[in-house]
Amino acid sequence: MNAIRSELHKLASLPSVWAAIAVGLLVAPVVAYLSSSTTLSAIQAGTDSGPASIDSGFQELAFGVVGAIILGVVAVSSEYVAEGEEATGTRQIITSLTAAPSRARLLIAKAGAVALAVASLAMATSVITLTVTRGLLGEASVPLTADTAGRVAGVVVYWVLTALLASGITLFTRSGIVPLAVLILNTSVITVTYLLTRVTALANYLPDMAGLRMFIRELDSPVKIAPLNGGAVMFAWILFVLVAGAIVFQRRDA
Amino acid sequence: MIAIEHVSKRRGSAQILSDVSFTARPGRVTGFLGPNGAGKSSTLRILLGLDRAQEGTALVCGKPFAELPRPLMTVGAVLDGSGAHRSRTGRAHLRWVAASNGLPRSRIDEVVDVVGLGDAARKRVGTYSLGMGRRLALAAALLGDPDVLVLDEPVNGLDPEGIRWIRTFLKERAASGRTVLLSSHLMGELAETVDDVVVINHGRIASRGTLAEVTGRHRTLEDAFFALTSGQSTVGTEGEAL
Repeated sequence: MNAIRSELHKLASLPSVWAAIAVGLLVAPVVAYLSSSTTLSAIQAGTDSGPASIDSGFQELAFGVVGAIILGVVAVSSEYVAEGEEATGTRQIITSLTAAPSRARLLIAKAGAVALAVASLAMATSVITLTVTRGLLGEASVPLTADTAGRVAGVVVYWVLTALLASGITLFTRSGIVPLAVLILNTSVITVTYLLTRVTALANYLPDMAGLRMFIRELDSPVKIAPLNGGAVMFAWILFVLVAGAIVFQRRDA
Repeated sequence: MIAIEHVSKRRGSAQILSDVSFTARPGRVTGFLGPNGAGKSSTLRILLGLDRAQEGTALVCGKPFAELPRPLMTVGAVLDGSGAHRSRTGRAHLRWVAASNGLPRSRIDEVVDVVGLGDAARKRVGTYSLGMGRRLALAAALLGDPDVLVLDEPVNGLDPEGIRWIRTFLKERAASGRTVLLSSHLMGELAETVDDVVVINHGRIASRGTLAEVTGRHRTLEDAFFALTSGQSTVGTEGEAL
């Protein structure tokens, strides 16, 4: 318990974590506002009779996961930031391990703290994003049913697992630059994993492509994966990366 | 009480430490001396469970460091630098360290006072001078009021007033029955502070004993140190030559 509380204190006192939370809270609602406005004008102009896509709001939430990625990366990379030019490279990890020498417990606590923070962030962002969509599109938007609630749960799980994937990769690299660049580019600019699904059906089982099935209904792919199965595939990937990262962390000199 | 027994470490093909053994006893300040690169920091990192040795054991109060349930209450460690992330404030750093061992928040104010960090504790670590960073690291080490203090080059970066302060502080700490182990490559700074001396050179213990024993017939500890580490024999010191 002490370990998790300590990790939560670490997250809450790091400015880059607050930046990640701001990105998380803003990206999906802003993009949802823009795309719903476009859909609304199309409906009003009569070129689109509605209802809007069953994925309106949810597509934006898939994109908004960048906030969770940043949080997951900095939770680990902040342990390894060297202090500056004057001091010859002490890192926070030294303090972390002299305060809590069990590396396994430290990692579990860190993963727990990241999961708690990102779950709350994902929940809040989902509510805001779907409210924005509903506010603009009214009845043409996604209905408030049990199925929609289930999809929101899917968003929360997807964000948490994506953040943990980011943390896991950063355990290998220790610097945040590579994982941030790769994961954010893949989410936003060029979705390499999506392009790969055009090449091989197997790419549908990559972590992000599988995980999206938890809440995206109209995925442009001939391969059908049920939401729970998609979540299970993503979970297996993340477990694999985290365990591999934990083994490296356990064996490496700090 | 710190007991290092037959510790050896290789990194790749380089032999970092060879059969290093010594103890640091309660009630005394033990100086761990050696030139840069002699293996001082590696030994302390192995003692603190940060690095692994291929052979040997390092025990604190009879246990490997990693088996201490709330280590801050047994050992305080000050390694190079502040050990804090530069974008946190000093207090925020101390808060998470205290939380990790379930220590009360009131300890934060106490240790900030003890090390004289003052108002700087509310500023970001990135704005600290080297000396302030060292004071913050010491504050974190003192949170659990531990029986053992381990300090790597504690006077590095401190101004003369700070050096004087930490000497007095460490002596008082030892006088109250606690164990203090500090490493340094600066002999002059140490001769007035330490009771026992362990000299390491090229990863091997060159001499160990009380200050008087290791200084031996040399004029000063510094002379003895250079005699021990310049490749000449241990002639002239009465410490346990190794």
